[in-house]
Amino acid sequence: MSDRRIGVYICHCGGNISDYVDVDRVVKAVCDEPGVVVARTAVFTCSDAAQQEIIQDIKEQNLDGLVVASCSPKLHLYTFRDVARRAGLNPYQYTQVNIREQCSWAHTGDREGATEKAIRLVRAGIARTNLTEPLQPVKIDTVPGVLIIGAGIAGLRAAIGLADIGICVYLVERAPVVGGWVARFGKMYPHGKKGRELIDQLLDEVKKRESITLFTNAEVVEKSGSMGDFHVRIRIKEPAESDIGVRVGAIIVATGFDPYQPREGEYGYGLEGVMTLAAFQELLDNSGGRLVYNGREIKDVVYIYCVGSRQGTDMENANRYCSRYCCNATVHAANLAFEKNPEIHQFHLFRDMRTYGRFELLYREALKRGATFLKFDASEPPRVEQGGNGKLKVTVKDLLTSGEEFEIRADVVVLATGMVPKKNGKLVDILKLPVGRDGFFNEIHPKLRPVETVVDGVFICGACQGPKNSSESVASALAAVAQSASILKKGYVELEPLIAAVDPQLCTWCGVCAQACPYSAIEQEQYRGREVARVNEAVCKGCGGCVPTCSRDALNLRGYTGAQIKSMIDALVKEIC
Amino acid sequence: MALVNPDFVEEVKRSGRFDASACMNCGVCSAVCPMGIELLPRKLFRYVLLGVKDRVLENVETIYSCLLCRLCEVNCPAQVHIAENVRFLRCYMNKKVFKI
Repeated sequence: MSDRRIGVYICHCGGNISDYVDVDRVVKAVCDEPGVVVARTAVFTCSDAAQQEIIQDIKEQNLDGLVVASCSPKLHLYTFRDVARRAGLNPYQYTQVNIREQCSWAHTGDREGATEKAIRLVRAGIARTNLTEPLQPVKIDTVPGVLIIGAGIAGLRAAIGLADIGICVYLVERAPVVGGWVARFGKMYPHGKKGRELIDQLLDEVKKRESITLFTNAEVVEKSGSMGDFHVRIRIKEPAESDIGVRVGAIIVATGFDPYQPREGEYGYGLEGVMTLAAFQELLDNSGGRLVYNGREIKDVVYIYCVGSRQGTDMENANRYCSRYCCNATVHAANLAFEKNPEIHQFHLFRDMRTYGRFELLYREALKRGATFLKFDASEPPRVEQGGNGKLKVTVKDLLTSGEEFEIRADVVVLATGMVPKKNGKLVDILKLPVGRDGFFNEIHPKLRPVETVVDGVFICGACQGPKNSSESVASALAAVAQSASILKKGYVELEPLIAAVDPQLCTWCGVCAQACPYSAIEQEQYRGREVARVNEAVCKGCGGCVPTCSRDALNLRGYTGAQIKSMIDALVKEIC
Repeated sequence: MALVNPDFVEEVKRSGRFDASACMNCGVCSAVCPMGIELLPRKLFRYVLLGVKDRVLENVETIYSCLLCRLCEVNCPAQVHIAENVRFLRCYMNKKVFKI
């Protein structure tokens, strides 16, 4: 028999549970389980009144374990952990059993079956709670420094933001100069400043701040340690190669993107006069008066959208995503072309126009100035050929005119090329960055945790996350600043203690667990003169991937030990009378 | 296949009487047209905007079938002056086709 004192609370959820589960029968079935001293129902366990009742029970009955059978832990795990904490009970001695999403809602047509399942689930929860131990969050001291990789507009802005909060910054740029792609841009929307001017302004600000150390021609070659205290080795390649080691509390990755490079023959790429949007923008920036290409004035321009974006599945390594920025950039370029030459004829061949937000004004302006938009079907893309008179011949089926085929003669054909992920293979290996299906770096959640990665203390921002324009890149850079500063300014971080633990008595270091760990959280250490495994508590995510690989049973997951899991299975299969 | 002719676009633009640049090609105008003519006015305007002169000239009858009732105009979400544009096209036809 157990000597534990456990309180069990079964929630009606106002009928969400009790309409399909006989909650009184569940209480009756589990009240005599080993360790249970209190078993009750409540209409809403999450209500203030019910929480007070639980707190009172914990104090009066001197409970050392708590089970609440209600909804998904996603919703109320932290609510009830807090209830336990307020009553003086260790929050990790609490178990939440999901009898709503996984029971009452799933078996609305079978009250008897749902009730039996609820009994089994609650018994399993009690069995686990019987073997819980008080756990303390893992507390880690943090170093007040941040490493920023990539000195484009996002990296530079993040550096300034962090320096202003009082955090020291190491800014590492692979190229000899800072500024990334934005530095090459001409007039930008909506402020009308040139990209170079923006970058120079940011660089001036960076130079004013002593706490920012900028390394150009440099790259990160090694990383060890964990959130709060990373040890990073930076290789500087000028003029003689040298390595520098730095200690930082967090890392922000802002490595940006690469422009899509069209294949030879793709929409006529390779023909005289067929160019990418970037090349056309350069032409716009460098032309003083009228627009001239190869000594001839440009009178007719055809733009083809979605080049390198939203590609079909039939292609190998197709880019399925929309690059988002190219519609805006192309319409913006078209307006600049109108400024140079109001008589210019511009034809935009698009699949869908996505000039969102204030960029709609650009679209309207282009329409007003006489730009014509033709919609083509992805399965019948426009054809670009060499025409007579040194002109290019573009043939397109326009869906807006019921699929009629038109021939347009153009001086230049501009391919609105999208963004592709930058080739960052080495950095991905060093930082263990999560790469998504599209090849860009993945955040944990695009809305709830938009700049955090699964690697604690490593943040991402800017176009390395996915196609973004410059203002969106800056916004995400500042989000990364806020997130990293919130860790570092406190001086310490507290992590969940539900992680793997090694029994050094049993471990003989075969290294299999280290290979199984997706986060590289298992290291080797010396214990009484022999080698054993050690779990880096700051890095371990508690996924449990290492546990079954251990042939000597030396690994256990705190809160979900082998003994706990076995006891839960026994409780689940127990006879229901 | 029709050839896009920017000179025609210029010609129309110079007149200062035709403006369908706000047209979103939604088709409300054609849907409410009491004459039930499929071509009027969204497709017709599109031919003009694209500069497909041949197609415009092919549709003389359609352009003259319009009742100028403005039902399309009051329903147009982009506030295009449809009737005014049709009037312009009739003037153009009178000059270019009928030499009046």
